[in-house]
Amino acid sequence: MVKRVVTGNYAAAFAAMLAKVDVIAAYPITPQTFIVEHLSEFVNDGLLDSAFMRCESEHSAMSACVAASATGVRTYTATASQGLALMHEVLFIAGSAHLPVVMPVVNRTVAGPIGIWAEHNDTMPQRDCGWMQVYVEDNQEVMDMTIQAFKIAEDKRVLLPIMVCLDAFILSHTVEPVDFPEQDKVDKFLPPYRPDHAVLDPKDPMIIGSFSPPEYIQEVRYQTDETMRNALEVVEEVNAEWAKEFGRDYGGLIEEYKTDGADAILITLGTVTSTARDIVDEYRAAGKKVGLVKLRFFRPYPTEAIRKVASKCKAIGVYDRAVSFSAGGPSWIEARNALYGYTIPVINVLAGLGGRDVTEPDIRLMFDKVLEAAEKGEAENEIVWIGTRGVKP
Amino acid sequence: MYEVRFHGRGGQGAVMAAQALASAAFQEGNYAVAFPYFGAERRGAPVMAFTRVDKDKIFSKTLIYEPDYIVVLDDKLCGLVDVSDGLKDSGMAIINSAEKPEDIKLGKAVKCATVDATTVALETLGQPITNSAILGAFAKATGLVSIDSVVEGIMDIFGNRIGERLATKNANAAKAAYEVTQVGTCQGGFECEKADKWLPGYDELPLGLATRPMETPEGLVGPGSFVDNKTGSWKTFAPIYDPDKCIMCRMCWFYCPDGAIKEVGEGDAKTLEFHHEYCKGCGICANECPKDAIKMER
Ligand code: SF4
Ligand code: SF4
Repeated sequence: MVKRVVTGNYAAAFAAMLAKVDVIAAYPITPQTFIVEHLSEFVNDGLLDSAFMRCESEHSAMSACVAASATGVRTYTATASQGLALMHEVLFIAGSAHLPVVMPVVNRTVAGPIGIWAEHNDTMPQRDCGWMQVYVEDNQEVMDMTIQAFKIAEDKRVLLPIMVCLDAFILSHTVEPVDFPEQDKVDKFLPPYRPDHAVLDPKDPMIIGSFSPPEYIQEVRYQTDETMRNALEVVEEVNAEWAKEFGRDYGGLIEEYKTDGADAILITLGTVTSTARDIVDEYRAAGKKVGLVKLRFFRPYPTEAIRKVASKCKAIGVYDRAVSFSAGGPSWIEARNALYGYTIPVINVLAGLGGRDVTEPDIRLMFDKVLEAAEKGEAENEIVWIGTRGVKP
Repeated sequence: MYEVRFHGRGGQGAVMAAQALASAAFQEGNYAVAFPYFGAERRGAPVMAFTRVDKDKIFSKTLIYEPDYIVVLDDKLCGLVDVSDGLKDSGMAIINSAEKPEDIKLGKAVKCATVDATTVALETLGQPITNSAILGAFAKATGLVSIDSVVEGIMDIFGNRIGERLATKNANAAKAAYEVTQVGTCQGGFECEKADKWLPGYDELPLGLATRPMETPEGLVGPGSFVDNKTGSWKTFAPIYDPDKCIMCRMCWFYCPDGAIKEVGEGDAKTLEFHHEYCKGCGICANECPKDAIKMER
């Protein structure tokens, strides 16, 4: 076992090398650029035997990934922010054609105004493209989930592409110790990708994604919906296998932290989760009954798991680093949908938009709001903007 | 409320006819809607258009499955498409045909009107475009709209698209057709061949609709088209191939939209074969050939 101090971007690139990707097609964009640069070095230095394409845009990069994956090979790319927005129309093609492309997305604010810091308004709006999305908390999870992502995406019951979402700079450009899985163990965990549903081969032609009248497309949509639901189970299986082989258990769809006996539970995603763990410890030590749920998968959405959490507490707060204007944060909207029929208050806490630092006082305030709702059985405000000048939280 | 289904071929103007009928009914104080249904259609393919007319606002946004009237712009369609499918027993068929209503064979025996709209169109427009003439027959046979309103409808819809001068000619075609329309009853019991449509459940559909081609002798076709879809019946002009002029550049093969051209033979003996069952006579091959090796002939 080798431990090295590396950035999230390095972990994402190294994981692709461990997964022995066949094709990498990408376009650099801050703060993802280093992922692509590291991979180009691995290929150049002969460490990774992979076709490397530096495309002229993200739209082309995703188009190349679709074509490559459709030939039946393991395909990888990475992007962020505007780059993901530019890929938008091609994302649907990968999703509907069941092409298990793996793509780290370094979550960065989408303009305007132009910003380069962490916000989830790049990935959240892509939730309906037929891609899975997992949000990670630290660089170890970047490494581990990128490898697991291939296994989940390539599972015959799923066959869907996946985004591994990591916060800009807070992970992408931060170094911390990461345990590097051994190649032979990864090989055992992740066998080569051998599809039969989509394999373009001139000797045995196939038609993928051709013009299709209304007689067909609704069934194709149902297939994507069903395979996305199948992924709920596959995520858990792959997590369990990873935990067994590599000793790190991420909890699967969600991870619960000190939720037993908690009155007030905060659901977070991404890096805010880590700081929130400290606050939970602090509050528990002070006798305050709080707990934390780390939402890992946003697609497929773990409806059942969220319902189980809600049945054991008095109020829930959902943290969002993005907002659907006039409607609340996307993660909160999903949680409320999952919790239809439950009577406990479910409030939304918004903070860290545009990459603003989410501080310990911010997170204490989040827990205070949820505790207050738990005590009163109702919330004064359903949607709470934290740390916004001129807005009372 | 009455509902009309138009059957034509891509390019014959069934959609404009449906719109002009709606406009005509509107001139008489009705509420009327007309809409097309576009499948994977190309020029020459059987198409449908619909008109719905009522005294009050129409809310229904569905296609028409049980029409009161069917209008057929090309009587050759009667053998290809079940034009009278769902037609009410009390309904009526208005057909462009040189034959008498009594000689027309449909799925059911119903009231029927025929008019030789092709001849009328050739005389008034100088072209075999029948979408305006057939509306004159509709007015005469059904009495639901007056011929004056039909003229107004044509001036409105055709006028916007092709200008007043040509619209006037089309209005004249409708008036001429009005005079020569015959009304009677057609024969029933005709069964047209039903195309075998591939409609698997979601769990039998290949994942993401990535299909192994259903191979035809002519080439590869996808899920929207079928071996049974003999597009050859659409053609008026057929390609005549001269192998002596051909340099085997394969431009025609590349551009043929129906995969109707196939390479045969080996080495120097290589030549092309045109499959007339599938060739729809579009003439693209002749247009693309750099050596004039293909001529389109009737
Ligand atoms: S006319 Fe030529 S291009 Fe058109 S369908 Fe026939 S063979 Fe093909
Ligand atoms: S385009 Fe003309 S010259 Fe070229 S292969 Fe076809 S028929 Fe022959």
